[in-house]
Amino acid sequence: MNLVTKVVLLALLSTLWGCTNNLHVKGDLPTPLISPIPQSMGVFYDDEFRNYVYTEQSEDRGKWIIDNGDAQVQLFEQVIPKLFKRVEVITSLPTAELPATTDLVIHPKVTDFQYSVPRETRFKIFEVWIKYNLTVYDAQGRLVADWIATAYGKTPTAFMQSNEEAMNAAIIVALRDLGANLSIGALRVPEIKAWLDKRPAQPSSSATPANQQARAEG
Amino acid sequence: MPINLVRLALILLTVQGCTSVTIDEYHASQDVGITHGERVVVLGRRHSSDYETEPDLVSCIGDVLDDQNDVIEVIPERQFIDALYPWFEPRTAPMRVKDMNRLLSREDIAKTINSYNIRYIIWVDGKTETTSSSGSIGCSIGAGGAGCFGFGTWDKESDYEASVWDYQELENIGQISADASGTSYMPAIVVPIPIIAQVQKNACKAMGLQLRNFLNPQAAVVN
Repeated sequence: MNLVTKVVLLALLSTLWGCTNNLHVKGDLPTPLISPIPQSMGVFYDDEFRNYVYTEQSEDRGKWIIDNGDAQVQLFEQVIPKLFKRVEVITSLPTAELPATTDLVIHPKVTDFQYSVPRETRFKIFEVWIKYNLTVYDAQGRLVADWIATAYGKTPTAFMQSNEEAMNAAIIVALRDLGANLSIGALRVPEIKAWLDKRPAQPSSSATPANQQARAEG
Repeated sequence: MPINLVRLALILLTVQGCTSVTIDEYHASQDVGITHGERVVVLGRRHSSDYETEPDLVSCIGDVLDDQNDVIEVIPERQFIDALYPWFEPRTAPMRVKDMNRLLSREDIAKTINSYNIRYIIWVDGKTETTSSSGSIGCSIGAGGAGCFGFGTWDKESDYEASVWDYQELENIGQISADASGTSYMPAIVVPIPIIAQVQKNACKAMGLQLRNFLNPQAAVVN
């Protein structure tokens, strides 16, 4: 292969790479204004969750490579410590032989990631849907709840905004939505609620923060 | 001759398309006013599936409200909703003023809102969209140079409604709607010359000014 061919091939490859939308999701996620549930929670982030990357496989769509791992871990690290009295990040799921030091353990997984861009719809908005499976175990590793939580975010197109910036904004809105769902929805999951109700020797006055939260949720 | 062409191009570049704006105002209460120290927050509705109230429109209305008076002080939307996260997100935000009672039953929410000394919460809902477009412009490049020829035109419409909630009295005190429309043109004779109708910007200005009059800051200065 001579030098000219190499240069042409390199230029062609860089052009093709330029057609790919590469996105490492970044953004500010606020701390929720919620009252903690008086239990402790262990969080197990597996490698797939920490390093989650969505790669568009369809030939009919634009090429997107979306790295959302850091942002979704950041969201969980913002919300879970406010939702429970004590939180620990653990490196393996608990078992009867090797129980956790927390009351509960949560293991989040991404089960679906979908998006739409203005070119595909008639609306000038970028939309993102993410489906999470949040498996909750007790300290001995027994299944407490299998909670499906969805996150939805959209953002309008704006003048001089790139596709990557708009998609990033839509994903951050979706993560905020997930945070709202976690903060407010945890007490609504029947299995978690039933497990919490069975816990002895917890403050049960009607003025507890968790009860206040339930009232505000309506 | 080239100087005249440059002048003509500059003049055309500063020309804007025309926009017409219609404002409607509804007062549910005559007891409207704001005093020094009380603040206003302008929030966008984001619950609809097919559109989203643009954050820059919400910010623009806040800027117009805040401008040229020393009574109305506007809290930035992002600052307010971040401080109250997750209670003013699309899935959790109060849709009616009486839903505020439910939120305010939580001490931490009430304390945070009170820390801003909020008097009015203004919810803006709506969108600006391109309703039709026609024409075409072709550009070409060659050894002798490059140029574009053609003509394009498009219509834009804005439709926004603002609901004003009195946070102190917990009542909806009025509504203001702004409908704006305008046509933009883009003739291209070698160089494309955009003559843009600033539809969203004009809707924002009209809505902001009307809201400023609605909240009656002049009367508050006297107080």
